[in-house]
Amino acid sequence: MTMRKSTYLILLVGVVVAVLSGCTAGVNDTGLEYAPQMYHSTPYEPLSQVQSEDAGSWLDSNPEDGHGEFYNSNPYNQYKMNMLTPVENTIKRGEFLNDNEIAIDDYEKAEELLLNPFEGDEKALKRGKELYMMNCVHCHGPKGMGDGLVGKRYKGVTTYNSATVKNKKAGHIYWVITNGKGRMKSHASQLSVDERWKIVSFVQTLQKQ
Amino acid sequence: MLTKKQSMSKAIRFVLISFTYTFFLFSSYSTFAQEDTSDGIPTDDSSVSAGESTFKANCTQCHAIHEKVIGPALKDVHERRTKEWLLSWIKNSQKLIQSGDEQAVAVYEEYNKIAMPAYPFSDDEITSLLAYIKVESGKEPVKEVAETTATDSTTAEAPVASGYLTAVLIILVVVLVLILFVLSLIVNTLTKYLKEQKGLDEADAEIVDQRTSFQKLLTSDFVIGAVVFIFVALLLKTAIDGAFTVGVQQGYQPTQPIAYSHKLHAGDFQIDCNYCHTGARKSKAANIPSPNICMNCHEVIQNIEGKEGVSKEIAKIYEAIDFNPETGEYGEDTKPIEWVRIHNLPDLAYFNHSQHVTVGKQECQTCHGPIEEMEEVYQYSTLTMGWCINCHRETEVNTKGNDYYTKLVEFHSEQNDQPMTVEDIGGLECSKCHY
Repeated sequence: MTMRKSTYLILLVGVVVAVLSGCTAGVNDTGLEYAPQMYHSTPYEPLSQVQSEDAGSWLDSNPEDGHGEFYNSNPYNQYKMNMLTPVENTIKRGEFLNDNEIAIDDYEKAEELLLNPFEGDEKALKRGKELYMMNCVHCHGPKGMGDGLVGKRYKGVTTYNSATVKNKKAGHIYWVITNGKGRMKSHASQLSVDERWKIVSFVQTLQKQ
Repeated sequence: MLTKKQSMSKAIRFVLISFTYTFFLFSSYSTFAQEDTSDGIPTDDSSVSAGESTFKANCTQCHAIHEKVIGPALKDVHERRTKEWLLSWIKNSQKLIQSGDEQAVAVYEEYNKIAMPAYPFSDDEITSLLAYIKVESGKEPVKEVAETTATDSTTAEAPVASGYLTAVLIILVVVLVLILFVLSLIVNTLTKYLKEQKGLDEADAEIVDQRTSFQKLLTSDFVIGAVVFIFVALLLKTAIDGAFTVGVQQGYQPTQPIAYSHKLHAGDFQIDCNYCHTGARKSKAANIPSPNICMNCHEVIQNIEGKEGVSKEIAKIYEAIDFNPETGEYGEDTKPIEWVRIHNLPDLAYFNHSQHVTVGKQECQTCHGPIEEMEEVYQYSTLTMGWCINCHRETEVNTKGNDYYTKLVEFHSEQNDQPMTVEDIGGLECSKCHY
């Protein structure tokens, strides 16, 4: 009798251990969630989309909405996305500039008309260097010699002190970062207007070396 | 006499022949020399070295002598084109193309209409540049030693090495077990043999007749108790460890729609995290980069270095953004890439990237681990509350050069001789993260 009891006890402990060790996360497995409603947002969560309407139906706290607890998707958007691309012809706050009259490939006009609002600003120059080291250095290299690790593989990266570009003014550089030129693509989606001008300040110090 | 006359004429003839011969030699040499400068390109050392420095500062980004880079290989370009053509091309290639020059238009079309910038060089500078190209054209191309990429070697070697190690270990264990078996056999035969012998000492007989069997030892209270204790302790440890992983997603490594390697991009090529994750320094979420950021490089880089065609994984970006790698054109039929979120905090906790990255100046790796070594990203940290609090207790606030903190630091140092940590400025307040 006692023998059988202890066997059951050992078996029970074994089952508990097996269940609990199954809680650990791994490849394609988030593991057991404590209070799952907290891990799965009710509001639209742009970075974690769940399109299956059955997801989490086993603990549905609001059966009237017709989908499971974990469902997180916007049926009114294309591809039922929670994220939206910016509406066409809209301008980000603080990005308004009198750019409209300059064609995206008119570098001469940009050079002539656009002036760096941070001209001579030491703090902006310092920040420009930081931003350059984040966004430009992998192609253009730390000294702007076109010898970054990616640049060597990409090829055709401009050297800032080469004869064609070393005398270009701030507006030209700004227009190249904004709209791209040659093999370089537009970086306007990654850098705000102010950030671009700060990078221009730093690039101008590299032109003169 | 005859012989003398003959020898005389012979001598005259010899002189004549040798004279004409040397004349021809000289004249051929002089014609060669004339050819050499007829294109107006000198090959003296000073112009070549001047040309070399101009070439290296301005041309190497797009041109090489023996191979195509962005523009054509420049070997023997002085023979393919006239000097006048080259002068006007280098000074302003677009002007030449617009004037309708056939050669110029052909080159422009052949190289995907990538315009060569106008170089404000003088005629002399271009002449020395051509001198350098002319001299280099005569040289054999220097073959570069093929570099095996770091990724190839590590991915290939690591599993092989560990597999080899396990094999060696298994063989060792098998050999040891065999030795044990053979030894016990020997002991058995020896005891049997000794037992048959008569006239052993008492001490020897005792050793031979040992009766402390394994069974007796195994069924002793001490051994049973120890085994049960160890078993229960292990079970409890596993159970408690297991209970602590409930709600902790450390090690979560979902399969992503594109086999993107952080090791290649952030490790081997050292691209800054902020280049793609543009939100990290500005907003709550670090954000998944949109495909246009991928296309900044991958419109040109379509496969692993040295491989032809479009890589299977890069083709997935092209499909999502509707890019045709053959024509280089973008279509309208775009669709999202459905990346799987790895790091997820429950809704009861608030976390903001910009607060930690821009203000706190934390490295991404502090929380995300050695991302630059991960082929496939997994959750490195536990992201538990204890983990957050621990860091807030240990991290000192960088107050240098920030007037906002001057008074705070004063107050803090009056009451405390420890440096000011995040805890001291309210980093443990409940409402900082829970509201």
